[in-house]
Amino acid sequence: MSDTPTRDDDQLLPNGDAVEQTPAETPARRYTDEQKYQVFNKEFMPHIDSMYNFAFRLTMDEDDANDLVQDTYLKAFRFISSFEQGTNAKAWLFRILKNSFINDYRKKSKEPAKVDYQDVETTYNSEDAESEHTVDLRAESVSDLIGDEVANALNSLPVDFRTVIILCDIEGFTYEEMAKILDIPIGTVRSRLHRARNLLKEKLRDYASSMGYKEENGD
Amino acid sequence: MQTSLPTSASSSTKPEMKEKCDHRADCLKMIQLILDGEATDQQLAKVKANLESCQPCIEMYNLEREVKELLTKRMEKRCCPGQLVETIKSRILSFS
Repeated sequence: MSDTPTRDDDQLLPNGDAVEQTPAETPARRYTDEQKYQVFNKEFMPHIDSMYNFAFRLTMDEDDANDLVQDTYLKAFRFISSFEQGTNAKAWLFRILKNSFINDYRKKSKEPAKVDYQDVETTYNSEDAESEHTVDLRAESVSDLIGDEVANALNSLPVDFRTVIILCDIEGFTYEEMAKILDIPIGTVRSRLHRARNLLKEKLRDYASSMGYKEENGD
Repeated sequence: MQTSLPTSASSSTKPEMKEKCDHRADCLKMIQLILDGEATDQQLAKVKANLESCQPCIEMYNLEREVKELLTKRMEKRCCPGQLVETIKSRILSFS
């Protein structure tokens, strides 16, 4: 069995930086089998709940989330020699999961007539959408929302917008980590996050106003 | 690092609270950078000053912080099913 990844597999290798480094700076990790299991158990497995949550929020389906997490961990083990012990395992794993999702799951997505992400971003990139677009909403209006309502609002966003919010606000990644996980420049992380939050606030405003009506009916 | 805020202690001209912000979109972006821990010292100082003198900025800050808290604290966190953990562990063992 060769340790050399094929060209196809190469896309799965999470450490994009390695490509730019000279071979001398990126010695091939030659882990013994025992070391492989040790790295896997000590550095990869502790992130499995976060990974499962990420997978579930991306696929919105328990079975798909199961498959996605399993595929990701098996890939992580196969390519463990490209993981440098002690570096950011969580970001490394999230990147593999994100790529697996795009390559394997997004295609067969059950969601009908999915909005093309590029279209959405172009729309929100346009000047008139950009300028002075702030959502008219007060903190007090959303402070009583329950988790399910927040989750529904988040799930209603196009997947790429949903993703940046999950990575930043739920998983606490830095912009730099997000740029690596998503293979996009930091500036794009920042602007996509900004637009994602505007969309989310619009959804939250809808939930908050429908809740207001319920209260008026004396619930 | 110079983040000294103007002290209004001795002055008789207390800063007026602005009711209208002319740079809402820009301020909102800076507020998000701060809550994400990604702001520069300069941005931090600027927003700090706004939060003492600009009502719309205060409201935007409160909203952004609230939304972030909803996401971090109120969303249900699922645990990975134990069965899946077992499956992964046994599949890995069969690799060697």
